[in-house]
Amino acid sequence: MTTAAPNYELLQQEGLETSLLEISMGPHHPSTHGVFRMDVKLDGETVVELRPVFGYLHRNHEKLAENMTYLSSMPFTDRLDYFNSMTNNWAYALAAEKLIEVEVPERAEYLRVIMAELTRLVNHVTLVGFFVNDLGALGTPLMYAFREREKILDLFEQASGARMMCNYFRFGGLRNDVPEGWLDRTRELVDRFPAFLDEYEQLLCENEIILSRTQGVGNLSRELAVNAGITGPMLRASGVNYDLRKVDAYGIYDRFKFRVPYTDGDTGDCYDRFMIRMLEMRESVAILKQALADIPEGDIIGKVSKVFKPKPAEAYGRIEGPKGELGFYLIADGTTKPYRYRVRPPSLINLTVLRDMCLGGKIADACIILGSIDIVLGEVDR
Amino acid sequence: MSLELIKDILLATVPLLVIFPSLFAFTTWMERKALARIQNRIGPNKIGIPCTRIGLFGLGQPAADGIKMIFKEDIVPRGADKLFHLLAPILALIPAMLILCFLPLEFPWGKFMSGQVQAFLLDSAVIFFFAISGLATLAIFMAGWASRNKYSLLGGMRAVAQMVSYEIPLVLSAVVVVMMAGSLNAKEIADVQTGFNWFVLTPWGLAAFIVFFVAALAETNRSPFDLPEAESEIIAGYFTEYSGFKFALFFLGEYIAMFAISGLAVTLFLGAGDGPFLAVAPWLSVVWFIAKIFGLIAVMIWLRGTLPRLRVDQLMAFAWKFLLPLSIFNILLAGMSHHVTVAYPGTTAQVVTWTVSLVGMYVMAKGLDKISRSTAKPREYLYAE
Amino acid sequence: MSILGGGIFKGMAVTLRNFVGSYFSKERFITTNEYSWRPESELPQSIGDYPKEEGEQLSDTTTVNHYSRNFPMLLHDTGEPMDTIRCVACQICERECPPQCIYIEKSTEKKENADGKPQFYPAKFDIDVSVCMSCQICVEVCPFDAIVMNSQFELSTPDRFGGLLVRRDDLLKSNDYYHKIHPQEAATRDERMAADKAAKEAKKKAAAEKAKAAAEAKAAAAEAANESKEDTE
Ligand code: SF4
Ligand code: SF4
Repeated sequence: MTTAAPNYELLQQEGLETSLLEISMGPHHPSTHGVFRMDVKLDGETVVELRPVFGYLHRNHEKLAENMTYLSSMPFTDRLDYFNSMTNNWAYALAAEKLIEVEVPERAEYLRVIMAELTRLVNHVTLVGFFVNDLGALGTPLMYAFREREKILDLFEQASGARMMCNYFRFGGLRNDVPEGWLDRTRELVDRFPAFLDEYEQLLCENEIILSRTQGVGNLSRELAVNAGITGPMLRASGVNYDLRKVDAYGIYDRFKFRVPYTDGDTGDCYDRFMIRMLEMRESVAILKQALADIPEGDIIGKVSKVFKPKPAEAYGRIEGPKGELGFYLIADGTTKPYRYRVRPPSLINLTVLRDMCLGGKIADACIILGSIDIVLGEVDR
Repeated sequence: MSLELIKDILLATVPLLVIFPSLFAFTTWMERKALARIQNRIGPNKIGIPCTRIGLFGLGQPAADGIKMIFKEDIVPRGADKLFHLLAPILALIPAMLILCFLPLEFPWGKFMSGQVQAFLLDSAVIFFFAISGLATLAIFMAGWASRNKYSLLGGMRAVAQMVSYEIPLVLSAVVVVMMAGSLNAKEIADVQTGFNWFVLTPWGLAAFIVFFVAALAETNRSPFDLPEAESEIIAGYFTEYSGFKFALFFLGEYIAMFAISGLAVTLFLGAGDGPFLAVAPWLSVVWFIAKIFGLIAVMIWLRGTLPRLRVDQLMAFAWKFLLPLSIFNILLAGMSHHVTVAYPGTTAQVVTWTVSLVGMYVMAKGLDKISRSTAKPREYLYAE
Repeated sequence: MSILGGGIFKGMAVTLRNFVGSYFSKERFITTNEYSWRPESELPQSIGDYPKEEGEQLSDTTTVNHYSRNFPMLLHDTGEPMDTIRCVACQICERECPPQCIYIEKSTEKKENADGKPQFYPAKFDIDVSVCMSCQICVEVCPFDAIVMNSQFELSTPDRFGGLLVRRDDLLKSNDYYHKIHPQEAATRDERMAADKAAKEAKKKAAAEKAKAAAEAKAAAAEAANESKEDTE
């Protein structure tokens, strides 16, 4: 077998023929999070070779967007990472706003932050649920996560009309103002959220089985993480303190006091990735509390002409999405359609280190490593 | 064959064949309901009396499931070994049903029997129990192999490794009881414990019971040891390729095995049919027995609703490096404390043996934990302002 | 591996608390259908409240949250649907719809609309709801407030192609219906439309006045010019 991993030797014995077990996990598999496939070679239970295969969900997102007006591709960005449509909208709006001169009103900026942080809560809380599901729990944490997610999605529905495909951000602001009483309902939810987090942490964070399953599994060194362009919670779990909310301070993030959890970079394993997300949720709650306290009255959309027709220019808008740096790169050529439209999907780029993390582990490890990367196939395949 | 014998056979087997499968149906309902409630859902609630909207808390669900299973298409993969694919579920059920006979259930109609066929009167019932329950491993491996599916094969391999390993701590923790009761006969073991002399109420019995229960979870492939059917890793393990009635048989076999092994735990440690009001109504012993089984099953469900599963190497390490030394050490403790309490009757000796045993057990367990180089512990994280 | 810590027992305490809590506390409980915006008395009290009897849901417009949107519908004002239809078949929405699921055919002759102005109207207006992604772009781009989102969701049909192509006459809904399903949104829209109309009228009036003033000025100027002419003569 020539495909064996480095430092790996197959047992050779006289008169005994051995070969590796090849398994194609996916595209229909309970723990590949969608239509993702891993071609793995196993020696017993040990992963010797792993090849990720994707593209099953390719929808030609970028080319489609180049053939329609700027506004028309906004609803399609919802479908990239369908857990976090609000942050996708924001990244696209940021890129487009760089093409034209527009002042985003104060209230819209606050609402954007509120929506983005609620999205982060949705993403992290369900990610942790799915992750523990991959570890083999019978969906109990996932059900708790979904209960909380449901409450947040209700808020999204009240503001934007849809639970997941929100399509709520517009160039220069937001589509419409939130309805009466929405802010109060959000305040109530945010006040209650820490209690839920306490319970969630009590259920998961000290569980010996989770500890021993996740610690030391799927180590990602700081060097590899930086070289591979990993971003988001995964990068911070590998010990790099890098958060676009601090680095770029896009929107009005410089007005809020919050901390960015990261590790010292010694381990960078699944447990770190899981814990960083748990801790980030608390910080999101802190941001939400401040934003909900200070939000002013006023307009929600700046002065933008109805026909969006920027002058020839390039722009790159990026935000700290729940999964990592989500960026949109636009080249305008003076027409109503972009000449080039490119997405930098954090899921795909974080996925590139999958093989390095999985080799030498058990097959069960491969499942949880994939879970800890936090991918959404809509964004990986686009 | 005399008429007497036929009557005895019927009286001994028919109740087992009726009671336990119906308890199985009830348990599936209970499990679904309890798991749902743990997860804050309602659980089955629609299917009660047919053609009405009376839900009866979904008690009709098992019946509906059963009907669905029977009428579902039975798919056999083209490359499968048809004969063994068919035999495996049957073979999984038979030993499970068989070992039920060794439980010292004293049915009220026992007095009409001449005592020729009561299996629990067998002098080596406990040995038979382990011997026959070992057969289930074969059935599971057969299923994994015959399905010709890589996931099934992996599941089968896992099952064999797991069940063979966990049988050892299981047997060794039962040895303590056999030692103390001085008999392998289930009935005699039960009799020794009457009047709340349950073995679980002794220090060595408590330790042995915990080891036994953990090993029993692994034997019956229950969470957190459900690796052979680990859904997130290998789809459904050895029964990936089973559908319809064959799947139902596997399912039934699994639950019956659960009853059987809980029944054995009840017999060995929890005083079998012992309980209050037996002098008034002797038939209550069956009720107590089954109630205790259900108590254990409730704990299993509870664990299932809470815990993720172990990894395959940790599972093995846990059996060989933790449970096995612990159960051997427990035999030692049991012998010692028996001699101490016999030599010095009185409460002081009792207290001393309890403390010594508990401390000894704790130190032993901690030590084993150290040896296995476990470093898993919660960590501290840094924050950037 | 270490089993001796208390983590597992802590977790089990949580699940036990949830098990008991699911019987007593409504907050913990997951209802399969959130009615959080409804008053307490209207919340589903027991199993069997949902789903409603067959057919009931179709007419019950309050089954879903009144913020939600599903597929578009065409609006008409009070009166005969086709006489008061707001859509003028300008085809902007057809062009802007991202998945291109609107098909419009413009009428050849004009017809009076609710305001009594002759306008074109859509001879054909079909939306393929199997393609529509409920994005609401058409609503935003329509300059005549003629198309808004409906919240009806029971659209299943055995006919995969024809059944999911909703025709103009099925799309037409009255403004009152719109008020019923999206009260807040409809009120704001009406307000804005009224304001727009008033502004337009004011503008028109102002323009007319300006024109009149200009005409008068012109006349005066002409007279003055005449006079000066006379003077020079
Ligand atoms: S809602 Fe979106 S997809 Fe549907 S018709 Fe309107 S623009 Fe097209
Ligand atoms: S619905 Fe509105 S945008 Fe579409 S054709 Fe009619 S008037 Fe024009």
